[in-house]
Amino acid sequence: MTAVVAQDEFFAAAGPRPRRVSAARIGVYCFLIGAALFFALPLYVMVVTSLKDLGEIRLGNIFNWPAELTFEPWIAAWSSACTGRTCEGIRPGFFNSIKITVPSVILSIIIAAINGYALSFWRFRGANFFFGLLIFGAFVPYQVVIYPLIIFMREVGLFATLPGIIIVHTIFGMPILTLLYRNYFSSLPEELFKAARVDGAGFWAIFFRVVMPMAVPISIVAVILQVTGIWNDFLFGLVFAGRDNMPMTVQLNNIVATTTGTRAYNVNMSATILTAAVPLAVYFISGRWFVRGIAAGAVKG
Amino acid sequence: MHPALQGLLTIIIGVSACIGYFYFSNQFLDKILLPAKGPKAGRNITRANQIRPWLFLFPAMLALGVYLAYPVLETLRLSLTDRDAGGAFVGLDNYRQMFGESKFWEALRNNLLWLIVVPAASTAFGLLAAQVTDRIAWGNVAKSLIFMPMAISFVGASVIFKLIYDTRAADTAQIGIMNAVWLQFEGGLGSFLFLRILPLLILLSFAGIVGYAGFIIGRPLWNGAYRAGGGAMKVGRAVVVLAAVWLAVLALRNVIDVMTMSFPYGEPQTWLTIPFFNSFLLMVVLIWIQTGFAMVILSAALRGIPEETIEAAIIDGANPFQVFFSIKVPQIIGTIVVVWTTITLIVLKVFDIVFAMTNGQWETQVLANYMFDKLFRASDWGVGSASAIMIMVLVTPILIWNVHNARKEMA
Repeated sequence: MTAVVAQDEFFAAAGPRPRRVSAARIGVYCFLIGAALFFALPLYVMVVTSLKDLGEIRLGNIFNWPAELTFEPWIAAWSSACTGRTCEGIRPGFFNSIKITVPSVILSIIIAAINGYALSFWRFRGANFFFGLLIFGAFVPYQVVIYPLIIFMREVGLFATLPGIIIVHTIFGMPILTLLYRNYFSSLPEELFKAARVDGAGFWAIFFRVVMPMAVPISIVAVILQVTGIWNDFLFGLVFAGRDNMPMTVQLNNIVATTTGTRAYNVNMSATILTAAVPLAVYFISGRWFVRGIAAGAVKG
Repeated sequence: MHPALQGLLTIIIGVSACIGYFYFSNQFLDKILLPAKGPKAGRNITRANQIRPWLFLFPAMLALGVYLAYPVLETLRLSLTDRDAGGAFVGLDNYRQMFGESKFWEALRNNLLWLIVVPAASTAFGLLAAQVTDRIAWGNVAKSLIFMPMAISFVGASVIFKLIYDTRAADTAQIGIMNAVWLQFEGGLGSFLFLRILPLLILLSFAGIVGYAGFIIGRPLWNGAYRAGGGAMKVGRAVVVLAAVWLAVLALRNVIDVMTMSFPYGEPQTWLTIPFFNSFLLMVVLIWIQTGFAMVILSAALRGIPEETIEAAIIDGANPFQVFFSIKVPQIIGTIVVVWTTITLIVLKVFDIVFAMTNGQWETQVLANYMFDKLFRASDWGVGSASAIMIMVLVTPILIWNVHNARKEMA
């Protein structure tokens, strides 16, 4: 704020150029540097540590750039780090996460788009109840549903299977997405629908030829929201995925928790980077869209 | 089968099931159940159109019913039964047992601390960062840096911070940043400033702010004022006042501790095992993640403030602080509340961080992890469900508030 005021005064006032360095300015920069350190230092240390060998790490000098760059820890984290009994690294987790994330994202978005469209296309009695259910589903603490769901899924044979975890993610991702789509579709001008109807388009024709082409932005937001949400999920993966479908986050925790002999800091950090790679890539590629996606769905947890 | 093939198959099956359902159910409705021909064509079309929305929403309704509504009710029922008694109804015994456990009260206390510290700190930092970065050349770089942790999972963040809090034997070089910094202190003037005066100032200002907030909120109660509101309002005010008093006392008690404690200079500490203090170390992880979120949303809100109001204030001679607190903040208070409640919801469910970092040892337990412990380690579904219901009860006010707001928006 001080910067704003300083600038405004600078442009408004005629006369000698005011001093650029004021106490407030120094304060602002101190805060920014402190904040940047708090947010960047952990990430920096993570990267640097993952590139050192254990001997160099033991010397201390946490902040130093590695004297000898090594990618051994990355390779170890990817393919040979131990989680309990097996030593396959984080690779199986990576593929499991992809197997879980991709279908869940596609399915939940299809269902949410159609439902959101149906909700904005027709105003009907009972819609309010459905909204209530959706909002409830978007905000409910998952702890409340876990145990009965385990029992239920065991009964129907879905517990600890790939389809089981996909269904869970699809259903719990759907409410917030449905609300997103519904609000977006409601904001479209009504004349659009009317014109299409006059031209003889039915429900599906309007959906595929009018609405969906206009829903590209919201769909990007939905994809980003779902991909990062499901990829970073821990609780559902831990409880419902079972040993064969453990997602990457659970695998990461197992690798770090496994302490046989010396603690391999560099391998742990490499595994963390590898786990974060997908959402970080999404973040860097999509940029502003990512922010929008998170902002739209941060209510989910 | 190859994993990629397997995944592809799942997608194809899922998608075709969706499309098949929507297509055939509509065909069934239009062609067989209520055909649009014959003597009753008109009535049939009307009826079909009344039914159609439900046709589309049915799968979602069913899914939410089975996966959401039923489990919530079932958890409520299970919390009233006992496993050892073969699932017999035992009334409130589980709750009684839970209330008798010190671990539960520890979890509840920590949850309350999280609830106060994390949303407040994240929102405040986020607001400050948004304000400061908005008009600075490299503000966008700082912003994207501050936002980056949002992309990292809670577990990943926990692993990173475990390294920061790491401890090694006293005679070896320290790898954790915390200990490396700690070893710089040796009891001189710098240590006095940083370890006594700084915490003292923070604690005193915290106690002051909390006490003042409690005073403002509770004032109508003892003034007998007309604005105190109805019964529920009064109870709410009383609860807030009690919480504020508790926090202020807690902070003041810690002032004495900080001033009298003798610090073990020169010895590396195992940070995560120091009771009470370690909870705050875990909170830092969540603040690290959530500040970016608060910053982004609040920065958008700040940009939406009409320039004229700020210009008018400056012309009237307001100083930067007045502009910020009296002009800007009141205009974005709605957004601040939204950010605050959103982070509050996340905090109430916080599980990953505690699970990955301490697993509730050394007095860091929180309700979600307590519930996990009961359910999967002690396999006691009764008390586990009871604690899940506790979380639900804590979340419910925010849930209702959200439903209320969403309704207003959609109307």
